[in-house]
Amino acid sequence: MTARRIGVYVCHCGGNISDYVDVDRVIDAVKGEEGVTVARTAMFTCSDATQQEIYDDIQSLGLDGLVVASCSPKLHTLTFRGVAKRAGLNPYRYTQVNVREQCSWAHTDDREGATEKAIRLVRAGIARTALLAPLDPTVVETVPKTLVIGAGIAGLRAAIGLADIGLSVVVVEREAELGGRVQAFGPMYPNDKEGSELIGQLVEQVRRRESIAVFTQAEVVKKAGSFGNYVVDIRTHSSSSMTMQLSVGSIIVATGFADYQPAEGEYGYGIDGVVTLPEYKAMLDAAKGPLVRDGRPVRDVAYVYCVGSRQGDQGPNQYCSRFCCSAAVHASLQLHEKDPAARQYHLYRDMRTYGKYELMYQESREQGSLYLKFPEGEPPAVAKGADGRLLVTVRDQLTGQKEVGIAVDLVVLVTGMVPRENRELVKALKLPIGRDGFFNEIHPKLRPVETVVDGVAICGACQAPKSSSESVMSALAAVTQSAAILRQGRAELDPQVATVDADLCTDCGDCYDVCPYDAIAPQEMAAGRKVAMINPATCKGCGGCAPLCPAGAIDLQGYTGAQVVAMIDGLAREVV
Amino acid sequence: MDYDALVIGSGIGGMESALKLGDMGYKVLVVEREASIGGKMILLSKVFPTLDCASCISTPKMAATIHHPNIDVLTYAEVEKISRDAGGHFHAVVRKNPRFVDEDACTGCQQCEMACTVAVPDQFNADLVARRAAYIAFPQAVPKKAVIDRPGTSPCTFTCPAGIKAHGYVSLTRSGEYEKAFNLILETTPLVGSLGRACFAPCEDECSRGSLEGPVPIRRIKRFIADTHYASGNPVGVEPTAENGRRVAVVGSGPAGLTAAWQLRLLGYGVKVFEAAPVAGGALALTIPAYRLPGEVVAQDVGNLVAIGVEIETNHRIDDLEALHRDGFDAVLLATGTPRAARLGVEGEDLKGVVPSLTFLEDAKLGRPQHLRGKHVVVVGGGNVAIDAARSARRLGATVEQVCLERRHEMPAFAWEIEEALAEGVALHDGWGVAALRGPGSVQAIELKRCTAVFDASGRFSPRYDEADRGELACDAVIVAIGMGPDTAGFEGTLAPRRNRTADVHPETLQGGVPYVFACGDVALGATMITTAVGSGRRAAYMIDRYLQGQEFDAAAFDLRLPKVEPEDVLRRQKSHSEKPPGASGKAITNQPSDFWEIEAPLTEEEAHYGAGRCLDCGVCSECHECVNTCPADAIHLEMRPETIEAQVGAVIVSTGFRLFPADLKPQYGYGRYKNVITGMQMDRLLAPTRPYNSVLRPGDGKVPDRIAYVMCTGSRDQTVGNPLCSKICCMYSIKQNQLIMGALPLADVTVFTIDVRTAGKGYDEFYVQAASMGTNFIKGRIAGIRERENGNLIVRYEDIEHEGATREEEFDLVVLAVGVQPNLDTQALFAGDELAHDAYYYVAETDEDLSPGETSIAGVFVAGAAAGAKDIPESILHAGAAVAQAAAYIEGMKVGV
Repeated sequence: MTARRIGVYVCHCGGNISDYVDVDRVIDAVKGEEGVTVARTAMFTCSDATQQEIYDDIQSLGLDGLVVASCSPKLHTLTFRGVAKRAGLNPYRYTQVNVREQCSWAHTDDREGATEKAIRLVRAGIARTALLAPLDPTVVETVPKTLVIGAGIAGLRAAIGLADIGLSVVVVEREAELGGRVQAFGPMYPNDKEGSELIGQLVEQVRRRESIAVFTQAEVVKKAGSFGNYVVDIRTHSSSSMTMQLSVGSIIVATGFADYQPAEGEYGYGIDGVVTLPEYKAMLDAAKGPLVRDGRPVRDVAYVYCVGSRQGDQGPNQYCSRFCCSAAVHASLQLHEKDPAARQYHLYRDMRTYGKYELMYQESREQGSLYLKFPEGEPPAVAKGADGRLLVTVRDQLTGQKEVGIAVDLVVLVTGMVPRENRELVKALKLPIGRDGFFNEIHPKLRPVETVVDGVAICGACQAPKSSSESVMSALAAVTQSAAILRQGRAELDPQVATVDADLCTDCGDCYDVCPYDAIAPQEMAAGRKVAMINPATCKGCGGCAPLCPAGAIDLQGYTGAQVVAMIDGLAREVV
Repeated sequence: MDYDALVIGSGIGGMESALKLGDMGYKVLVVEREASIGGKMILLSKVFPTLDCASCISTPKMAATIHHPNIDVLTYAEVEKISRDAGGHFHAVVRKNPRFVDEDACTGCQQCEMACTVAVPDQFNADLVARRAAYIAFPQAVPKKAVIDRPGTSPCTFTCPAGIKAHGYVSLTRSGEYEKAFNLILETTPLVGSLGRACFAPCEDECSRGSLEGPVPIRRIKRFIADTHYASGNPVGVEPTAENGRRVAVVGSGPAGLTAAWQLRLLGYGVKVFEAAPVAGGALALTIPAYRLPGEVVAQDVGNLVAIGVEIETNHRIDDLEALHRDGFDAVLLATGTPRAARLGVEGEDLKGVVPSLTFLEDAKLGRPQHLRGKHVVVVGGGNVAIDAARSARRLGATVEQVCLERRHEMPAFAWEIEEALAEGVALHDGWGVAALRGPGSVQAIELKRCTAVFDASGRFSPRYDEADRGELACDAVIVAIGMGPDTAGFEGTLAPRRNRTADVHPETLQGGVPYVFACGDVALGATMITTAVGSGRRAAYMIDRYLQGQEFDAAAFDLRLPKVEPEDVLRRQKSHSEKPPGASGKAITNQPSDFWEIEAPLTEEEAHYGAGRCLDCGVCSECHECVNTCPADAIHLEMRPETIEAQVGAVIVSTGFRLFPADLKPQYGYGRYKNVITGMQMDRLLAPTRPYNSVLRPGDGKVPDRIAYVMCTGSRDQTVGNPLCSKICCMYSIKQNQLIMGALPLADVTVFTIDVRTAGKGYDEFYVQAASMGTNFIKGRIAGIRERENGNLIVRYEDIEHEGATREEEFDLVVLAVGVQPNLDTQALFAGDELAHDAYYYVAETDEDLSPGETSIAGVFVAGAAAGAKDIPESILHAGAAVAQAAAYIEGMKVGV
């Protein structure tokens, strides 16, 4: 082994690590490891000051390898690769050792054990680093074009935003009309803008921009290629079905939501006069004055909140649907405007008119709406009354737990949003789905509109329940994210991908099928011999192929067989 | 155009905006008011709903921001005004506030922090602990550079006519650094002991403590410092610059001359002081009575000069300044004071037994025989010198009557001086003028006439008499103390005297008609106070140095004081303060004073410490210069001043964030009065990795809290404080804290009093359910009030709505107020010309929230984050993304001229 010059930095993380791991002991234990030139601790390794210290060490000590033992690689691998790069060290000669999530936090009751584990983890990191070769990222030219999937309010706004920053846009919409759900709405909270008017404005803007191409009655069926240069298949089925292929640099998914559909009998759903919030909203938007239903005036309305949301053990949906409290309160204001004499009863669990939407809640109470809080696990019951009206029974926590019977003409089930069925698209794009069934971002703060699929962003209510303006906000954030990549004209791809040793490969074909990214294909070599070739732009470095290769011809850059064995040796050696 | 975009504020919204714009290839200027970028997020513990460590999310963004090739960052700077220029670009004026630290030189070693003698509440720890006036904002600060907190000069230091760092030596005394305090005063003057006794202490009149229970005894602390030093036998702790071969003659050894000589010698000049009297010290040595200022103390002070090589020749009167120049002095400084006594101009003035006060006082001080025992003395005059004479005469055994033109309240003498004189048995006849002195031979009687007015309508001295109203006092001696003036006869050639006989020198440069001649102190100013004379001497030395170096006279650099910090502001910013008894005056006054022992007792060390401990650190930095002396990189420069930076920018993103509701506006919760009632931000600090107590303790007594209550909606959804809005973040941050508390204190019970639990957002309700399942007890009910028990525990009174609405009381160890969000009002006056519209609650208004969130009333100006209304971190980041998309579109539009 050639003499390496490795710098090792063990982080206190303020106490997140050092409260449970004796970091000074870790340093003592590893500073004598072969190849280690410098070993230090730091209060916050990620802080700018310590980054500067590492930078200085790399330069003044001529380090050729770097190990930081701190938190999860998910958080800071890029941070320290950046430090290495700034200081002139190949960023792929860096190893992040996780002594927080996988050590200090996991062993808060065992300082001795945690310290010993940390020593082993750091040793493994050093062993790997000693064998790391410099790698250069694969650079791809990016296509300055974005595919927007879904032409609801979020998708349309995203398309306009992208075009205004100088990118070409392709909008694909499954329906025949643009505008999605908002198109159908009358006045919406909080500014009482008509949904149809907002969509009208956006459609007009889209039409005026030559750089936006719109395909309706179209669906994305396939995605190939790599980040910065995806090739997507779009199938249209307007008059005749046809498939076309497009090159795009990035993709924004804005496919929206579906309404929660109550089951028959759920809060009386199915009884005449029991409607969902969207049904009620349509009635309100259509009404010119007081509501009339089947020729009978609607004088009393009860709203039952949280239908299909926060279901606990009553159903699959554990999440709060966020928009519905405000939407229902807004609907009650809308009814009051049309019929000031209407009596309105709101049966709720927690009123979540967050932020300035609180003002609507306040106004609604001032107008005479009555709010009754029902207990968890004891929801209101809706039944057909003797007089043909509806009887809602509820225990009101605000008036001494009294059971109250309310005779009403209409019961509005304040239903929430649910994820939209999009199996084909999910499959085509490999979109990640969260526990709640909505599409998942990588990290709500660090990368709030990005998915684990590079270059594929999500926005609007396909990500989580959102109000219309919140959807627009996230759409513009997705625009920013896409533009930040595509405006640079090029993208660097992680070079830690699989490679094939052509001399060893027997073209058995096992790896072709196992690759989830279709990155491996046989290639004709001289003398009619075929070997597996891996496209570095499409390979994600998942490592699925390497252990499968019977000839041992595949190695994963950055995690070669030799490196992994060295790491295991480092882990296994006794701590004395 | 200098920058494509200006981002105001570098919290999470600002950083996100800048980074994304930078990634798109736009040049960005970020202006941050605090000393570090990062905003509020970096101060948090963990963040909901993922429980990521806030530092871990923030620090990479902070580092990325400062290292981004397209981003320039100005910290400790404020945007003063933005206007639109003719070309449609924005013109931003940015004030870069002085850090008083050279950012390039500072290594962030924190030695200044350790040397600093001032501690103030640490705003980055929500005031839970103290930080120093010299400090680095927090451990992860970017840039990690020190800053000296100097909002202005403390009133005491600002007022000192000598320019002594009064606050500085008080804070050093508080730290027990008496020798360093002595050396700090030596930076101004060698006359430490003399000023510690005889200064009229205008600093104490200005002291912010004055309006509480009385000022800090600043002068007596100085005396303590001097006495301590002289008793120690330590050598003078300053090293003069090696002699540069140039020489300056100082004529007169009063406070002005000695201070100038001291300063000039420190600067490297050879200095010789000529004194006509047999002792050096001028008024200090000759006319200020020993019971106020003993001669030995003056001699000790003079010894400082001798120790650094100043030559002093006594009994040497100088009549010819030009001769000194010819003798090889490169400059001559006249500092001969006011030795000429004013005369009464009445019959009998030359009778035996009529003496000028200065002669009398000098004889008394030098112990020349006076023979006044049992005699009857009349002192004429109403000033401090007259009082000195009267009290000295009492000490020599005389009965003393004092006559003055003024009524008592008009007398120029200090009120306390008059009181002490009366207490020592001096009889005062105020409102009388002298008509004549009667003999024969020696004076036998003084004839008085009623003075009806001393000053004319314009306030000028112009006494009028009622000649018919007469009186007479029998006496054996009369001491005349009605004023004094300079004696400039003989210097006409070099310093043409003014009408009042003061030397005619430039008021700023103190230079006379002949360039090498300067004059300072009373000979130039007329009779003043010794401390004023010290200041004048210091100025003269500075100007002579400039003159001899051939540099321009630049008066601004002479005095580095900042504008005064107003005592009202100091008192307003106190979170709490106790009234501490000021301590006794220490003066022993008797009706029969019989000797010249000092009447004022010295402060004991304990008293000096106690007195200095009452200092409120008005200017925060005390200018004690410890940091300057300690900094290994010579990075600290107290002469730094604000700089104005102007930039032309394309678009503006306002990301100025929010303020937290000041919890003391809900007095029924007791915040600020009950130590164990804290805010949500304080709890976040207690839980943060850089937590101040390294554990969750309650601040009142350091006890580990077992029962913790949360009061939700503090300052939100509350018409009584004018904020009906929901603050959006408090439910979630409280629930986050609940979970962290249960991790840190597994035995603690946590109860949350709430109106509604508002956990609307991706993964938020699940987070709430998780906290409830971990054991947080949620009670629907608003808190009516909180009482404190003697043991610091808190009784919370609430309505238990879910249980028949009963009114209950429950005891807790710690109460956390989940304070809400308020707008940052600084955005109101940001723009000139265009009006940046705000909503009814003073947040920056979004003019098209439905389709263009982040757009404002001004084209090209966008708002990102909580400046537009309460937002949590994920929403702020998304909002910033939205603002950036539109800012980029705007910049692109400008390029093509749309």
